[in-house]
Amino acid sequence: MFNELLPPLNEHNLPYPDTIHPIVVHFVIAMVLFAVFCDIIGYFTKNTRLYEVSWWNLTFATVSIFIAVIFGQIEAGLAEPYGSAVATLDWHTWLGWSLSALVAGVTGWRYVIRTQNLPRLPKPYMVASVALLVLVLIQTYLGDMLVWVYGLHTTPVVEAARGGVL
Amino acid sequence: MNPDLMEQLGDQLGANGLPYIIPIHPNLVHLTLGLFIAAIAFDIVGVLFPVEKAAFRYLAIPVTRSGLFDVGWYNLLAATAITFFTVASGFYEMLLAVPLADVKSAWGLQALETMIWHGLGGVLLLTLITGMAVWRGFQRFRWRRDMARQVQWSYVGAGLFIFLLMFLQGTLGAHLGSEFGIHVTADQLIHLGESPKQL
Repeated sequence: MFNELLPPLNEHNLPYPDTIHPIVVHFVIAMVLFAVFCDIIGYFTKNTRLYEVSWWNLTFATVSIFIAVIFGQIEAGLAEPYGSAVATLDWHTWLGWSLSALVAGVTGWRYVIRTQNLPRLPKPYMVASVALLVLVLIQTYLGDMLVWVYGLHTTPVVEAARGGVL
Repeated sequence: MNPDLMEQLGDQLGANGLPYIIPIHPNLVHLTLGLFIAAIAFDIVGVLFPVEKAAFRYLAIPVTRSGLFDVGWYNLLAATAITFFTVASGFYEMLLAVPLADVKSAWGLQALETMIWHGLGGVLLLTLITGMAVWRGFQRFRWRRDMARQVQWSYVGAGLFIFLLMFLQGTLGAHLGSEFGIHVTADQLIHLGESPKQL
């Protein structure tokens, strides 16, 4: 009965032209990566201006990741995963939700550090932000697998699934 | 590329047509777009700073206008540096592309047309991004060094126009992957009559 309430799905099995989640994640991947990069350069050169750059990039990433999770859930729900894509999508979903808490948490920590006007970032924070970067890279890899290996939401895969081949 | 020529690389290439399982270009695209769009976005926040001051104070977020413009500058610098690699990897992976030939995209284009436009678009965007970095540098270090508002309105306008080009370029790129199946392992297997379930 809910089917009538939903807009019709296109050849990507989406109610809109193309996937949106891979676009929104630009602003998580690029911002977290660049924030950590600026932190490391800032740590060794003592250029505090770069600390300001990484703080704002993290803030931008925090806003973006929640939008990424929303579109990720919508598109995962319409993805029709098959075979080992199911497990990959489960891991990607699990890590995605966890990262929304972790990115927001690290940004909150960064807010507190920023108000203290320290000459250098504390070491535990540096370790945490590098760990966050590693998780973001793993998450990107999992998402890459879903698109480029399993082809979720690509027309040939959607067609095969509709034809009952998958 | 011509499948007969691809044979010359023989067993070095996987079912996706690449010597590795995940294409590099779309990942560098995350960085190009993320960094460029954030750079312009923070310059816009910097330009509109007098209007936003009260909101930042209410949120208890200490903020300086020059800090916002620093984001605009450094993010753009990083976007420019990385985009040379984005374009280079794009051309390498396009060289190894075997698109599904019997398909038209949602924009009514065929595979080769889409590839040519996406290739030209890449070179054009690299040129524009580099030009923006030079323009931004002159504003920051010469023309507007002592001004509170570090960027010109025309610069912000140009940035927004480039967003539009990026949308067109990005959609063409999305078509190459998700409609023409370039470097998508499952799509290539289906084309060969095999099941991607084995993956």
